[in-house]
Amino acid sequence: MASLTLKGITKLFGKTVALSGVDLHVEDGEFCVLLGPSGCGKSTLLNIIAGLILQDEGIVILDGKPVDRLSPRDRDVAMVFQSYALYPHMTVAHNLGFGLRMRGVPKPAIQKRVLESAQLLGIEDLLDRKPRELSGGQRQRVAMGRAMVRRPRLFLLDEPLSNLDARLRASVRLELKQLHHKIRSTILYVTHDQVEAMTLGDKVVVMRNGKVHQIDQPETIYARPADTFVARFIGSPEMNLYQGRLLQKDGRSHFQGAGFSLDLGGLKPNVGQGEVEVGIRPEDIEIGQSATPLRGKVEIISNIGSEKYLHVSLGNVGLTVRAPKEAIFQPGQIILLTIDPDRLHIFQEGRRI
Amino acid sequence: MSRERLEMAIIRILRIMGLIIFIAIVAFPFYWMIVSSFKSLSEILMKPANLGLDIQKIDFHAYYEVLFEHGFLRYISNSVYVSIVTVVLSVTLATVGGYAVTRLRFRGQKFMSYSILLIYMFPAIVLVVPLYVMFSRVGIRDSINLLILVYLAQTLPVALYMLRSYFQTLPPEMEQAGLIDGCSRLGVIWRIVIPLSAPALASVALYTFMIAWNEFLFAFMFLDTPEKFTLSRGVVQLAGSVHLSKQLVMAASVMVTIPILVLFLFFERLLVRGLTAGAMKG
Repeated sequence: MASLTLKGITKLFGKTVALSGVDLHVEDGEFCVLLGPSGCGKSTLLNIIAGLILQDEGIVILDGKPVDRLSPRDRDVAMVFQSYALYPHMTVAHNLGFGLRMRGVPKPAIQKRVLESAQLLGIEDLLDRKPRELSGGQRQRVAMGRAMVRRPRLFLLDEPLSNLDARLRASVRLELKQLHHKIRSTILYVTHDQVEAMTLGDKVVVMRNGKVHQIDQPETIYARPADTFVARFIGSPEMNLYQGRLLQKDGRSHFQGAGFSLDLGGLKPNVGQGEVEVGIRPEDIEIGQSATPLRGKVEIISNIGSEKYLHVSLGNVGLTVRAPKEAIFQPGQIILLTIDPDRLHIFQEGRRI
Repeated sequence: MSRERLEMAIIRILRIMGLIIFIAIVAFPFYWMIVSSFKSLSEILMKPANLGLDIQKIDFHAYYEVLFEHGFLRYISNSVYVSIVTVVLSVTLATVGGYAVTRLRFRGQKFMSYSILLIYMFPAIVLVVPLYVMFSRVGIRDSINLLILVYLAQTLPVALYMLRSYFQTLPPEMEQAGLIDGCSRLGVIWRIVIPLSAPALASVALYTFMIAWNEFLFAFMFLDTPEKFTLSRGVVQLAGSVHLSKQLVMAASVMVTIPILVLFLFFERLLVRGLTAGAMKG
């Protein structure tokens, strides 16, 4: 087990910037998730930590010691690949024990540890099989087992669940979380799936275009996104975001959007005036009468079973509102909406204020 | 009879006829060679048009004579030596080289990768005269090991090309997993790449063996001393010698052909898999 620190990691592929100045600290035993759209550099970062790619600038520190000069084998990290990358010509037992064998661990010890890991993952019946005889879920477990059996200082997981079907993914996700509670190892987990990030991570790192946008606990990322990218990227359906002007009138703040305006109450005197973006999550909008309601017209209703989402037109813009599953609405119906100013996210030049 | 059935019948007849013609063209000389090698000289001279073979009159004398009186035992061992050394060197070098141009990043890697086949663009006949002059001047021409070097130069481009194409189909993550699991680069090649490339390696080996075993031009030009002759060179020597005995030449030819035939039948499955494996994503 070890802590991991990255300082100013920068990587260029030709002229494309894959990573620019990434700083990150992962505590010993922490489950840290790198989240971002594909092509944001998260897998590159993982490969740099593993030593498979060399960074152009910056240092990787494991347990207080820089490891940049060490080859992958000497860094003592384990990696689980998206494609699992099991060795097709070896049995499951050999796949699991390969890393130990390469490190010269005596045979009885290898057998013992392979069996231990296999039991922990529930694959002890599969030890004599070849990878091609396994299902996707079983292969995924073997890939996990191959990483675990070595008891590395750090686990690197590169979208390990993305090749599983949706149902299996949910159950393996849960198992992964339980597994982490059991073995308490330091894990760096790459995904583009926000549900995985929110449910698994002790800490979530949101990345885009090689830059870190926010590092926080999942709750904070959701409740206080640092910028408009994070605000849009986290949450499904995504946050409603509107361009507009902030005005001060009679000591009260107003937001003037395209065809609608919001009274922000006595909110944020330090903001002043100017161009801003305000955001509100669909579940933070109340349907019904209040002192300062907005009038919207229901356009489309998406029923996802546990709740309904109304797509409402408001002035010249659209708005997504969550409604309880029992509520009955008709397309074309005019509804009154109330937005609590305290629930608003306000961004200036993309950054939260 | 419907149109469809008529077409099927025509196609079947054409197919059978095609096969017959093909077999006649390909197999007849082969048959003639084997049959003649089992006959005695007098029988060939008396009944030159006799296509059949009398089982009771099968005569292995030609083989005995060729092997022990015309030095073919020596030629066979020379050919085996040349072919096997060529195969081992070619496969080894092509494995490391093919791996390097597929996986490692270094200056000139693209150029290296594309220029592999460049050398193959020169036909052997263009190279043989300058090489003859060059090696004669240096005084190392009449040598089996030199022949190996030439065969290596001839087979390596295709061997490299075949292996490179195959290596490109192997997922790099598997090798990265190997590196993280504690292998060195060479360890990755030995423990992961080579076991997975068995079909491609087998086809490269077979291809190289066939080229080295059958090669005639360079052996003919370079070798002067009969003790250094390879099989193909030996057959020509025999055919051109004064006491022309057809059955001896036929027996020698059979000895040239049989090993390749056996190897090919044995490795055929692997060969086809290896040649096409590069074409598809598995």
